[in-house]
Amino acid sequence: MKRHALATLAVVAGALCAARPASAQGVEARSRPSVATAADSALEAQTTAVASTLRCPVCQGESLQDSPSDLARQMRAVVRDKLRAGETPDEVRAYFVSKYGEWILLEPTMTGLNILLYFIPVLLVIGGLVLVAFLVRRWTAPESTTP
Amino acid sequence: MIDLLAHNALLVSLAAVAFGAILTPVTIRTGRREWLQLVYGAVYANFLLVSIAAVSMVVALVTHDFSVSYVAQVGSRSTPLLFTVISLWGALEGSILFWAWVLGLYSAAVVALHRRRLGNLVPYAVMTLLAVAAFFAILLVGPADPFLPVFPVPADGPGPNTLLQNHYLMAVHPPLLYLGYVGMSVPFAFALGAIFSNEAASNDWSILSRRWMLTSWGFLSAAIIAGMWWSYEVLGWGGYWAWDPVENASFLPWLTATAYLHSVMVQERRNMLRLWTLNLCVATFVLTILGTFLTRSGILSSVHAFTTGAIGYYFLAFIAIVLVTTLMLVAGNSERIQTKGKLGGAASRETVFLLNNLFLTAVMLTVLVGTLYPLVAEAVRGVKVSVGVPFFNRMALPAMVSLLFLMGVGPALPWGSTTWADARKRLYPPGIAAMILGAIAVIAGARSVYAILAFAFVGYAAMSNVREFWIGMRARHRAHGESWPTALVRLVAGNRRRYGGYVAHIGVLLIALGITASSTFRSEREATLTPGQTLTVAGHTVRLKNLWGREEPQRSVIGATMDVVGKNGAIIGTMEPRMNYYRVSDQPVPTPAVRSSITGDLYVNLMAFESSGANATVKVIVEPFVPWIWFGGLVIVIGAIIGLGYGGRSATAPAPATNPAPSIASADS
Repeated sequence: MKRHALATLAVVAGALCAARPASAQGVEARSRPSVATAADSALEAQTTAVASTLRCPVCQGESLQDSPSDLARQMRAVVRDKLRAGETPDEVRAYFVSKYGEWILLEPTMTGLNILLYFIPVLLVIGGLVLVAFLVRRWTAPESTTP
Repeated sequence: MIDLLAHNALLVSLAAVAFGAILTPVTIRTGRREWLQLVYGAVYANFLLVSIAAVSMVVALVTHDFSVSYVAQVGSRSTPLLFTVISLWGALEGSILFWAWVLGLYSAAVVALHRRRLGNLVPYAVMTLLAVAAFFAILLVGPADPFLPVFPVPADGPGPNTLLQNHYLMAVHPPLLYLGYVGMSVPFAFALGAIFSNEAASNDWSILSRRWMLTSWGFLSAAIIAGMWWSYEVLGWGGYWAWDPVENASFLPWLTATAYLHSVMVQERRNMLRLWTLNLCVATFVLTILGTFLTRSGILSSVHAFTTGAIGYYFLAFIAIVLVTTLMLVAGNSERIQTKGKLGGAASRETVFLLNNLFLTAVMLTVLVGTLYPLVAEAVRGVKVSVGVPFFNRMALPAMVSLLFLMGVGPALPWGSTTWADARKRLYPPGIAAMILGAIAVIAGARSVYAILAFAFVGYAAMSNVREFWIGMRARHRAHGESWPTALVRLVAGNRRRYGGYVAHIGVLLIALGITASSTFRSEREATLTPGQTLTVAGHTVRLKNLWGREEPQRSVIGATMDVVGKNGAIIGTMEPRMNYYRVSDQPVPTPAVRSSITGDLYVNLMAFESSGANATVKVIVEPFVPWIWFGGLVIVIGAIIGLGYGGRSATAPAPATNPAPSIASADS
């Protein structure tokens, strides 16, 4: 039973590795990602913050931080290595944008056309509040003002 | 053989619904109401015919008839029976067939329940439903035909998408979603029926359609929660909501339907917001079609976009037809629909409902804009952009937190008007609960303003809603000497709509508490363990026992057995996070192990493993209060069921109907 189980492990893992490499482009490190220790918890917190704003390229809208996929783990290791090497979070993000395009950012930058995305909802809420205030005023006005 | 039968059934059903839809106005114009029996017959015939097609598909799936195109696409001899049956909704064609079947079911129910009602409202509503059914029938005999012959017949198929055959919740979430989504066609049909029959200025149509909307809303609420649960149990990242376009698509009509359920009360009592409420019905329906289009056309890359094809253009055309038709109808009749009501005063429940509708609409538009923006950016700038979690959290959270607060203010204020002094007396006491919960959150370590406000407002709204029960029970206890349980039952039975609403509020608050707590106090760690090594996260310790592998007919399973170690070192349980490797896909499907208690979940996911079995990398997440989300979903459904009841209306008299309705609702309304 145990022999069979281990055989399964080996076969499956082999098949997995064979099917994988194409998806790993843009990542230098193919090695096992370094695992955090308690010592560098500040670096870890920064890695989490940056990885939460970057998209996992093979997932459905999950961030590098959240995704359990192999590629995301490798990219997270790249984020960690770059931060450890002294790059700022913005520089790390810029690196990924240069590799993957703007698409890799989970939140669009507040520039150009993107500004609309941020302003339309805000304008709608402000306009809606003004409208509600106006309607309540009109609908509670004394009878004489309405025919 | 069976495919020919099913295909012909669908062709005949298309003819039947088209015939019924065209016959309705002829019947009414010529005054030959006896012909309505033919229209209603067409509805029943359609249901029967689509049922034949749906049952044929299930039979073809179960018997592995790979000469049927859909079976060749999603079937596999090695897939377990349950997942073979539910792959009926696993891909595009099957889900359209299932949609058509649910629509047929709803249409038949509408006819069965309301056909005796006098007037033209029901016939025109049925006509609208038949027109919608015609659209889906066209899809089924055209671009989404699931019964195309396949030659040569393959010996086996690939099986359903791996994500869909990994968890039994896929047998629960999609049917609930369709019951919710498709059910929203009924209020839409009544809204159009009301305009066609010139009854839009009376409250009759909304009294009829409210119950259908509430039914669908209950199904949709349950479906969204089941979808979150599925995502939590299958995707392996310990989350339940990623603002994925598909999730957004289910959330958008929920928001407008919720707005409708509130505004319709203002309409009935104050004779106001008529046009707005009608538009919410239309918007909800359009958002369900838009959601199906977004998820099924493959236009946005997303979990559910398994297919691409010409079908997107059919959906776009249908959405355009619906929008243009209803806009013309509503604009052309707005003078007659609108009525001039008055508010009793600014400090009233009505005002809160206006704000509630504003914020629900604001959340809906924010999510809609965010979901569609990548398409706009690609078209205008030629650049692909992502709009994800950080955007939606930043933009939608303020309005959602405001809604939590309003959920406490609304129930506390009376209908009509009150003095500001009385309003203060009603609004201050729940502030105690707000302060307590807010303080607990700060002491527990919450630092984000939204999180602290969310906790405080959950406390505020919870106390405000529970207080309504308390006040009513105390009054009955004092006046009639009823025991407390009797008082509760009679109180709720005496006004099911009102108290059903409060129960649903409590369900939403439980969900809000679960979401806020689990996202604020989540702790996670990832580590590579050799057998015997332990990992401790937030006071929970797990120890890797061993790695194992298992062959199943449709997949290979790799699992890690982990012992959960208690405070004194004793083993208090085992967890088995797994990775499932399906034959059809290179990507393994993670299957995390979850250990739930009332205070939260211990969530363990197997991230990687050494093929020799020497070590395993696991991620351990401690998420407080997650089970409260699922429980809150159940409470919402209970609230919806209570609210469906016919129990007496509240003490306040309904607003008098201003227009003499051309017909009188018969006993069935």
